[in-house]
Amino acid sequence: MATDTDTGTASAEGFGEVSRVRGIIFEYLSLGASVLGIFALAVLLVYVTIDAFDLTNASPEWLLTYFLTLVVPFLAFCLYSANDRELTRRAAGVLGGGLVAVAVVFTAIEAFVTQIPRLSWQLAYLFVVVFPLTGYVTYVGSSGRVGGVGFGLVGRLIGGTAIGLALAVLFLVFDARLWFLAYTLGIVPALASYAYGRFRERPGASTAAVPVGIVGVLVAVFLRPVIDTYPTTAFIYLWTLAIPIAAAGALVVGARGSRTEAIAAGGVPLALATVVGLFGGILGLGVGGPNALLVIAVAGVPTAVYLQRVFDAGDGVIGLGLPVLLVVGALVGALVVEAFGFPAPDPWIDGSFITEAPSRTPADAGLYPAIVGSVIIIAMVAVLSFLLGVGTSVFLEEYTANSGIVGALTRLLQINIANLAAIPSVVYGLLGLGLFANLLGLGYGTAVTVSLTLSLLILPITIISAQEAIRSVPDDLRRGSDAMGATRWQTTKNVVLPEAFPGILTGTILALGRAIGETAPLIMVGAATTVFSAPNSLFDKYSAMPMQIYAWAGFPQADFRYGVVAAGVITLLIILVGMNGTAILLRNRAERGT
Amino acid sequence: MTESTESPDLQRQSGLTRLKEGTYGGLFAACAAVTLLTTVAIFATLLYDAVVFFSEVPVIEFLTSTSWSPNPRGGGQSFGIVPLVIGTITVTITAAFIALPVGTLTAIYLSEYATPNARSILKPLLEILAGIPTVVYGYFALVYITPALKATLFPEMSTFNALSAALMVGIMTIPMVSSISEDAMSAVPDDLRQAGYGLGATKFEVSTGIVVPASISGIASSYILAVSRAIGETMIVVVAMGAQARMPAVQEAFGVPFINPADVLLESGMTITVAMVQIANGDLTGGTIPYDSMFALGLTLFVVTLVMNVLSDIIAQRYREEY
Repeated sequence: MATDTDTGTASAEGFGEVSRVRGIIFEYLSLGASVLGIFALAVLLVYVTIDAFDLTNASPEWLLTYFLTLVVPFLAFCLYSANDRELTRRAAGVLGGGLVAVAVVFTAIEAFVTQIPRLSWQLAYLFVVVFPLTGYVTYVGSSGRVGGVGFGLVGRLIGGTAIGLALAVLFLVFDARLWFLAYTLGIVPALASYAYGRFRERPGASTAAVPVGIVGVLVAVFLRPVIDTYPTTAFIYLWTLAIPIAAAGALVVGARGSRTEAIAAGGVPLALATVVGLFGGILGLGVGGPNALLVIAVAGVPTAVYLQRVFDAGDGVIGLGLPVLLVVGALVGALVVEAFGFPAPDPWIDGSFITEAPSRTPADAGLYPAIVGSVIIIAMVAVLSFLLGVGTSVFLEEYTANSGIVGALTRLLQINIANLAAIPSVVYGLLGLGLFANLLGLGYGTAVTVSLTLSLLILPITIISAQEAIRSVPDDLRRGSDAMGATRWQTTKNVVLPEAFPGILTGTILALGRAIGETAPLIMVGAATTVFSAPNSLFDKYSAMPMQIYAWAGFPQADFRYGVVAAGVITLLIILVGMNGTAILLRNRAERGT
Repeated sequence: MTESTESPDLQRQSGLTRLKEGTYGGLFAACAAVTLLTTVAIFATLLYDAVVFFSEVPVIEFLTSTSWSPNPRGGGQSFGIVPLVIGTITVTITAAFIALPVGTLTAIYLSEYATPNARSILKPLLEILAGIPTVVYGYFALVYITPALKATLFPEMSTFNALSAALMVGIMTIPMVSSISEDAMSAVPDDLRQAGYGLGATKFEVSTGIVVPASISGIASSYILAVSRAIGETMIVVVAMGAQARMPAVQEAFGVPFINPADVLLESGMTITVAMVQIANGDLTGGTIPYDSMFALGLTLFVVTLVMNVLSDIIAQRYREEY
């Protein structure tokens, strides 16, 4: 803890003058050091953004149009939400003053010092003034009620769509029919048994839930090759995912709202998903099919639940207009640009980049198979490292003693985990190669090999953060549970894990962020640098986003170096920011809750 | 009189409960065992193939030969780790020149000067530096840093070079130094600072004369960890440094042999990690000497980083000033 003693007071009479120059220089030197790395990274990110979006070719008119239709309304929304006159005045001042300042400074540097490559003063203004200001105003605005509602809605729409698409991707390799059987025979009976025991107060039925589920799943695995007629994929998604999600949403709403509201919250998205999913293709809407059903259900139900809550609270309802504001702004911007024929940039990162396969020609190159690979690998890593991480940390925190032989063993485990965290990732790659790929024969660069390797790689991080989360559960709660006669497992299950869950989840997501960017172990286990079609089995040869970036970075053409790779880097970073942002939101919410 | 057949089952003798407890306890212990098994498996995998390798290539030759060419066109493989070590040391030292001073100053600023508000902004931003995927750093080094350096400071620089890779490794390791050092500095009790102020010391003198010496063990251990991280860094150097195992020319001035830093920094080179990746890109099926050499290199890397981590741990524990 620093103390804010003013060193100047030492120069009171009789002590003589104390030179403050050295201290001041040192303070600014250390401040400079603190921001050096951040500044360097910021400059690099600006350049990679410019390259990915081809902003060098953006005409000033184009920039101005979107600034007016998109950025200004968004800022106005945030400022309205913040409802702070002083902030509004200052934001306007920064926006206007920054424009003049950046233009003058930039022109002066260009004229007297040196040419700044690939930046115009308009772009500099965008990156130096507009984006940081927008970030800050967003931060302030989101804590207001209106802003909170708006961002909550946008977050659910985007997050739900992302999760829906990720689920659709998972079904590329995981057998939907097996899932259908396992769900119908295992999960539904298990849930029914659990609910029956819970609500009719028959503990035996609750206890039977897990064995019933396991037996059901085993039967499903056995029956999968025997049965040969299955419902369509759309129907499987509807029955196994959309309906339970809608039911869960209805239950959430039903717990605090009326029955009609509950039915509406679950039913409306479900009906929409069903119509679009089953008939969208037939009606010629251009959208449809099982994946649309999945996305609408996964994004729609939480949104409907959220809408009900907002309308129920009746506060900040106007914030729900934020998505409309953004969409309309983008449309108007596009119309204006079209109408006046402003020269627009041709961004490398666009729809076809996300949905197409890699190619030798830069303009056609896409990231789709790599994204699919990353999603599947990360999903498997998430499950594995979460289970192993929680198990280990519960063992270390709740089950072992601190003294005696067991205590020594615990310390050994703890030191071992700390050391595992510091082993270079390339060495984990060798482990994967030697053990999983060659010895166990799981194949070079298959999803199984890669995700096992990555799970072990991030396991120490997951364990350490899960341990912290478990340790932060107050001991009083454990003692209270013990005093009521709970066994150790009952205390862990009913008290410790629910309390620690947000912290564990946050730590796991942050660790997954590390896994999604890892490249070296993937190379070592033989992941493909480039695959041209999405995998359809767990034992295909996989690529992943960082692998594809690594492969493209080696291409000598400028279009690859400065265009396609930049787009790939931005895609990877956006996904990372999304994951880490979710983790931080979870943590903040948990901290507010306690 | 202590017959209590009707008292509650305090010993939890009921079969089902005990079975459940035992099952879950066993499951958790098994999870914990996985971490131990991982270490054993890493060591065993590395050792198994490394032993095969060293039966073909003597350890002495591996450690002293000055040429690394696992897959030469014209025959005559040679497995000398020396050029790789030179490459690794070059990158590590250069990175350390950035990460250590900048990280230390950052830690001092965060712990002594920054307001709580500034700290709450700076710390997450610094963490971002460590969270960016390393392949992205490598891309930055290759595509932005190298051309920028070539255009301004070093026109003779080659496209793949050690300097820009090392700069990025340095930036990436800043948060490692700063966060561990800051923890150590924050742990210095405030009494010591107040005593310093009482003696008439300025804030500068308190920071550099009291806080830094008092937390020197934590700072030193953060240095070692950062260096160990830089040694094991792979993707930045793979993308930006190229893959040429070269021995720099030894020059002589006034009878003292030396290596011109520009010879290693501005040219492409090869680190231990790059050598491993290069072999992995070609040959993974096993049974060949280059394949085994990967594991020998991995073992070297593993042992070096392990020793450094243990060292850092010992320094942090043994030389910590207890208050």
